[in-house]
Amino acid sequence: MNLVLNGESREIPSDWTDEPLLHLLREHFGLTGPKFGCGVGLCGACTVIIDGVATRACITRAADVEGLTVRTIEGLAEGGALHRVQQAWLDLAVPQCGYCQAGQIMAAVALLDSVPDPAADDIAAAMDGNLCRCGTSARIRAAILRAAEGVR
Amino acid sequence: MKRRTLLIAAAGGLVAAIGAGAGVLSQVPVIPKRPGPSAQGALGWIAHRDGRFALTLPRAEMGQNIATALKQIACTELGAAWDAVDLRMHETTMPRVKATVGSESVQLFAAPLALACAALRDALAAGRVTGAVTVTERPLAELRALRPGGLIGGSPEIVHGREIVTGAPLYAGDVRRPGMLFGRVLRAPASTELPSRPLRWNEAAARAVPGFAALVEDCGPPVGKARGLGIVAHRPGALDAIAAALQVEWEIEGSHPRSDIARAIDVDASLAEGALPHAVLDGAPEAGAWDVDLRIDIPLAAHGSIEPRTAVAEWSEGALAVWTGTQDAFYIRDVLADAFGLEAGAVTVQSCRIGGSFGGRTLCMVEAEAAALARAARAPVKVVWTRAQELALGFHRPPSSHRIRARLEDGRISDWDHTQISSHILFTAAAMPRWMQAATDLVAGDPGVARGMAAPYVLGRARAAYDAIRLPVHTGPWRGLGAGPNGLAVESAIDEAAIAAGVDPLSFRLAHIGDPRLAAVVARAGEISSWGDPPKPAQGMRTGRGLACGIYKAASYAAAVADVAVDARGHVRLTRLWCVHDCGLVINPDQVRAQCEGNLVWSLGMVLLDSLPIEQGRVSAGTFADAPIPRLSEVPPLSVELIESRHPPSGAGETAIVAGPGAIANALRAATGRRPMRFPVRAEEFRA
Ligand code: FES
Ligand code: FES
Repeated sequence: MNLVLNGESREIPSDWTDEPLLHLLREHFGLTGPKFGCGVGLCGACTVIIDGVATRACITRAADVEGLTVRTIEGLAEGGALHRVQQAWLDLAVPQCGYCQAGQIMAAVALLDSVPDPAADDIAAAMDGNLCRCGTSARIRAAILRAAEGVR
Repeated sequence: MKRRTLLIAAAGGLVAAIGAGAGVLSQVPVIPKRPGPSAQGALGWIAHRDGRFALTLPRAEMGQNIATALKQIACTELGAAWDAVDLRMHETTMPRVKATVGSESVQLFAAPLALACAALRDALAAGRVTGAVTVTERPLAELRALRPGGLIGGSPEIVHGREIVTGAPLYAGDVRRPGMLFGRVLRAPASTELPSRPLRWNEAAARAVPGFAALVEDCGPPVGKARGLGIVAHRPGALDAIAAALQVEWEIEGSHPRSDIARAIDVDASLAEGALPHAVLDGAPEAGAWDVDLRIDIPLAAHGSIEPRTAVAEWSEGALAVWTGTQDAFYIRDVLADAFGLEAGAVTVQSCRIGGSFGGRTLCMVEAEAAALARAARAPVKVVWTRAQELALGFHRPPSSHRIRARLEDGRISDWDHTQISSHILFTAAAMPRWMQAATDLVAGDPGVARGMAAPYVLGRARAAYDAIRLPVHTGPWRGLGAGPNGLAVESAIDEAAIAAGVDPLSFRLAHIGDPRLAAVVARAGEISSWGDPPKPAQGMRTGRGLACGIYKAASYAAAVADVAVDARGHVRLTRLWCVHDCGLVINPDQVRAQCEGNLVWSLGMVLLDSLPIEQGRVSAGTFADAPIPRLSEVPPLSVELIESRHPPSGAGETAIVAGPGAIANALRAATGRRPMRFPVRAEEFRA
């Protein structure tokens, strides 16, 4: 059983197939970007992009990504260059504790991939499921608009 | 005996209570030691080797981005380039540093760090490259890092920023050890104040679950009085299945006498029985009718950090290593040493970046579970609390009920009376047995509950008093301690007094403020929000604007203005928030602004959302759906302005929460003509 993880074909070991994808990524593949926040799809800390769609890895069974393309935050930068969303996050110093931010960034990347010039409503719809207790939402909005400007 | 001395040093008033019964001595909990930092001690945080510097962060990093601010100070004083200083998180092998609490990190640590860096810089300039350096006394005015210029007042890329946006390991849960297993300690679905323990379980069924590794009966100290049953698995996902298969039956002793929490803290019921024991303001208001008489109720609330409590523990040759995100690694070490019968030196706690603390990471809980499970499983064990455990076993913002009254005379407040019943914060039941808390109740009250009760105004004959009641749900420090709820109550009453006096709330406040720094933030908040010129109401909406202000820990100042829009069904939307903030000299303006923004979002939460549902004396919430926190679409545009100040730096992490909630509540009052008194507000009370 295989998936394409950040561009490379990787095997899902048979004893991990029933695990949530989040645990497979974190504890088997050692990708610490996606985070555990709630385990039931309510916070977005575990967000990864599966075949172009922002998805909660905590409620996705590992076996269900067989043959699919999974992108985590570790796969965003190309060469030494940060993805424009990552760069916007740094430029505006979005992270406070930072724990939610990998999920926020992945949700924002998926949004901009499908809606390159998002309106406020698009941002709210795409990001409302990604909670941030530190209160960085205003900066997240600003960083998404900044990253969108970069492509315009 | 060692503990007895320790306790006396920490809280002299407790001696009599301990002496009263030698039998209780063994149950004395470990008391956190909280030594202030010194410049000579600060030399232990900074080292020089081969042209590079290593700065060991003497604080917990939990999103206040103190690593960035202290690195700015170190670089400035050392005269070192940003990239020449490597920042490391501390572990308990270094000398003890004070817990990261109370927004003190810049206030208390800037000067010692700068003095130490200056001494190191001078030693290097004198050609010394080895050996110990001594800090010489020098006037603080000589320090480059304590005046604006260069990095001081600048906003470099935040420390750990790159790791955060690339997903590199930073947090306790990111730690992976060879052969590591995954654990959980199950506990009874009951108040942690009731003794409970596992009675029967189906071990065979648990063993049959793929991934099962161990069942652990000796799984560390109880949480409150709740004893647990430990499970260990080869994969984290197996833990749910093992827990379900075990079908543990619990023995729960009795029921809690105060399981109706609202009734237990009903301030009016307490006042009917007499005055409250702990005075904050001791004026004597005159008897008679009141112009303002409000009952304000604020419920239990969770911290809601996105990172649940998490720890990794590993034993080797009788020594214990623990990785955790905690506000006090040294206290965790002391508790672990006590719980497992080790010398302090045999326990090492590595402090990891924390995924949000807000006062919640001050006690040892998940760390002891991980240590006990790792010992039993003879392998490193990671324990990540489930969200339901966070809510059920953590401690929370105490509920509070306030009666707050004011009388006017010639347009000014002549008499003021604020009474409050809440539960403990600093002397939390989560760490203190009942007998010990009875002693602190007697001699000290709870300064955490009192925080912010002394209204920052000249109020004539002013009285404020409170009591703290032990509840079936554990309560403790939460962003701002009592200052958030007290500020909300005080600022609601001041606003009502202004309305009763027929005076504009901003002018009314200025007329009652004695402290010029507070007056300055209020006046400036009026200017940046164009106070007298609120936006025109949108179609079908009632709109209103509110103001509030406050002082945090007698050192930092904030004023906030809020605009709200309320629809016909009573749904409230924040449309704009402003904050003006004065915390003295600002090391990193962008991160102080970020803290203000965070506090404004918490203010929104306090008024519109924060509440932790309780049933029969225990937390009934299990997910973010039951205990929601603000979402992006609920957060309005935020404007923050910082006062440029030459006062010494003070705290920014909890200041604006003294003003934000009041501003929002007052805006709702302005929009609807109804005073919000029960929080979080309910739409049905604000229907058109
Ligand atoms: S951990 Fe997946 S949504 Fe919260
Ligand atoms: S930055 Fe802390 S939870 Fe979002």
